Amino acid sequence: MIERISHIFEVAASEGHGSIFTILFIGFLFGAIIQWARVDKFEKIAGFAMLEDMTVPKMLFFAIGAASIGLYFLIETGYAHYHVKPIMLGGLVIGAILFGIAMAIFGKCPGTGPVSIAEGRVDVLVGAIGGIFGGLLFTYAYPWIKPLMGPDYGKETLPSLFEGHETTVILLYGAALIIVSFLIPNIEYLDPEDKEESAEV
Amino acid sequence: MPRKISWLTGGVLMALLILFTFSIFGADRPIGASTYVPYFAGVLFDLDPQKYEYMAEIEKAGAWEGVMLLGAFFGALFFSLFVTKTFRISFIPTLWKERKNSSVLSRLLWSFFAGFIMIIGARLAGGCTSGHFLSGASQIAVSGLIFGGITMATVIITGRLFYNKKGGEK
Repeated sequence: MIERISHIFEVAASEGHGSIFTILFIGFLFGAIIQWARVDKFEKIAGFAMLEDMTVPKMLFFAIGAASIGLYFLIETGYAHYHVKPIMLGGLVIGAILFGIAMAIFGKCPGTGPVSIAEGRVDVLVGAIGGIFGGLLFTYAYPWIKPLMGPDYGKETLPSLFEGHETTVILLYGAALIIVSFLIPNIEYLDPEDKEESAEV
Repeated sequence: MPRKISWLTGGVLMALLILFTFSIFGADRPIGASTYVPYFAGVLFDLDPQKYEYMAEIEKAGAWEGVMLLGAFFGALFFSLFVTKTFRISFIPTLWKERKNSSVLSRLLWSFFAGFIMIIGARLAGGCTSGHFLSGASQIAVSGLIFGGITMATVIITGRLFYNKKGGEK
């Protein structure tokens, strides 16, 4: 078992996507930002499903809008590369529906789950165990699932559909998401059990 | 240090982290999370990548995301203990008590069920909030936009159907 776990680090270190230290550092910041903004909370994620809290869509829209413009310039200058996922339409549609149902009930997602477990949420640990079994079933059933995931419409991006106007499309997209993030009403559910208050910065 | 940051500060920091991760100074790859779960399940139950096609397909991404999320666990542990001071052992979220029920068993069973279908959904779609939303939509990938749109709509519809109405019984 210990051997298999240490193998995880060997594989990760040999991928050419950062040293173990870099990957752990990225993870540390990822967990810290999510925990600091409290967006791993059930009240923030399921709270969005109940329209009691809009922190998650506001932060998501802003982060994506700002990152999309920054990423475009990083890629243009050669400091980053595109890593676009294919449009596997069947898998995307069915997967997104199952994912959305689960997100509303669980109030977590795969990235915020470990953050919530770290702050002592036992219900999330139980959900993670459910996820392990879901993953196990998926791996076992993959030969039968795989044909249902298509058709594959390729690794398209929206700007690539507007040839010659890529920069305009990207800037408009980024600006639109940032504007939307400010327009979404600033509703927040402050959890009394956490003695939560509105953030000042 | 402030005990909590706003959606805007959080959004700025998250955008910078996405850019750092994508850049050649960081990991030269997108942020992702959900692949790690079936990968870790395979490691726990010793599934041989030569026998299980999916294990072989996800080994690299699964291992990277596993290490990344280990870092996330410690980042969150550190912040919940020393910065936000919100660390506490709990079984039911406050809002669940307000809008669903006060049964620990009910919350744990629903969590298990939701975790189960969440990973099946994420792997069918080929990504989750991190891979499709944060990373996919930042590249304006059509796959990420489709995932984001359908997920958001399903979240709102499920929220309406699954929970009790505000301030009263169903």
